[in-house]
Amino acid sequence: MSESKFEAISSLVDNYRVSEQASEQVIDEMLKDEHLSASWQQYHLIGDVIRDEIPATLQLDLSAQIAAAIADEPSILAPKSAPKSVNTVNAIKAKVVQLMRPVGQLAIAASAAGLMIIGVQQNTADTNEVIVPTQVVQTKPLAGFANPVSFNYQQDSQSQQQEAIEERIAQQRRFQALLSDHQQQVKLSAAKLAESAQAVESK
Amino acid sequence: MKNLSLMLPTKVIFLLAVFLVSASTAVFGAEAEQAKLSLERLSQSLRQLNFNTSFVVVKNNQAEPYHWLHGTADVKSSRTNEALSEDPLSSSMAKHNVELEILALLNGPRRDILRVGNTVSYIEPEYAPYSIASAQISGPIPTVFGRDISVLANNYDFVSVGKSRVLGRAAQLIRIEPKDAHRYGYWLWLDLDSGLLLKMAVITRKGKLLEQIQFTHLEITDTLSENLKQLHLAELPKIIELSAKSKTDLAWQVNWLPDGFKEVKSDRHRINSTNQPVEFMLFNDGLVDISVYVNPSKDTHRPIEYVNDGATLVLNQVVNNLEVSVVGKIPLATAKDIVNSVSFAPKKVN
Repeated sequence: MSESKFEAISSLVDNYRVSEQASEQVIDEMLKDEHLSASWQQYHLIGDVIRDEIPATLQLDLSAQIAAAIADEPSILAPKSAPKSVNTVNAIKAKVVQLMRPVGQLAIAASAAGLMIIGVQQNTADTNEVIVPTQVVQTKPLAGFANPVSFNYQQDSQSQQQEAIEERIAQQRRFQALLSDHQQQVKLSAAKLAESAQAVESK
Repeated sequence: MKNLSLMLPTKVIFLLAVFLVSASTAVFGAEAEQAKLSLERLSQSLRQLNFNTSFVVVKNNQAEPYHWLHGTADVKSSRTNEALSEDPLSSSMAKHNVELEILALLNGPRRDILRVGNTVSYIEPEYAPYSIASAQISGPIPTVFGRDISVLANNYDFVSVGKSRVLGRAAQLIRIEPKDAHRYGYWLWLDLDSGLLLKMAVITRKGKLLEQIQFTHLEITDTLSENLKQLHLAELPKIIELSAKSKTDLAWQVNWLPDGFKEVKSDRHRINSTNQPVEFMLFNDGLVDISVYVNPSKDTHRPIEYVNDGATLVLNQVVNNLEVSVVGKIPLATAKDIVNSVSFAPKKVN
């Protein structure tokens, strides 16, 4: 890939044509070459950023998204109406399908309504009940640090991260030790509590 | 004249207010009375019934399954229990019965708690099996529910809320609501038939669920189950002698605790897993235990850090090379207030 081709694309992007023929040649090449067409896109983006014309949300590759969306579309499953020039058996079948379909749709609509009503009842019943536990584990984050962008700091940040991880492990261990000791002390204190409770009862 | 005309409506309003207040307290009083009766029945059922039950403790998006057996055995028909005969209360009042209990955690390493009368044995991975002289096992269910529930009346309100279906049974919901904002509420679903616990939830004052116990199986029998019969004949581990004095003079004090928390014990010990020597105080309000730890730290200063295990909060901070930690089923604000209220006497803590 020669440097001149990129240069030509760049001048095309900037609307700076050298000659009609040369630019046509570049466009043709660009259409064939994926790499070149990608740089066409990138140059436009660079230009947009410089001119501050980028939208609030960047859609870097719209074409790929649209293709994906089309692929995700459910394929239409409804039978195509049979052509007229088929034999009688097929024609009868087609009629049966025609008759059945509206009924089926009605049934689906009815069941959807049923679901909705059940759903509403379920919701009101659930308000009195506490069934689903909520996640409550929360550790107060240690003094956080931003990841430096520059590569020069990579080594440093890794050791810092290591330190932070070690600190967090030490913290967890500390909490775990306290928690199990608390439980142990409560168990042992039961003996004392029993004595005092009996003392009260026997009075 | 003017004075009189002013006074009359005030008087009427006052009377009306008195009437309304008394009417509402009467209704409330009846509810509270019913709740208290239900809790007393729970306590009685937990001590007297033969039951074989399973429950799951749900916290931190995890479930811990337990198997719990309880029964009462006739002492005269089997061998005399040593711990029981030592106890003057049992021999005089309840000489016919001895309570037998097994509580086993079903997942992970074995954690079994066995109880025969006034001996409770703990079988745990951390320690060699040991027994303590106690009439209650400390597991996930607060021990007070099997004892005299009225000790909670100073700090909690009992409210009978309504009926619902739990574990396929008709259940009565009783709420144990704290009178102040410094602790959590406990909701108990009690079996209308047997009075036993079917479900329990620890709830914040804002109604957030922190931890719950759901029973998954309940069987009440007339006779003792086979496991408990075997337990009655089994040799339990030796009872460990706990130091006679439960209180040690420490060079610091906790200056603030929610009303009703009393010091249960204070001592110096080492934390088992880290071998860290600590000075320790334990407080209890009948339902909730709060531990306070003080120990020297290699850090000079560390801001408050905390973690929640279900309803249990573990919080610590380091100030001037001293680490102060609070553990208990209490809200964060309460723990912060406690940790900040710890003060040190002039002489230095070693």
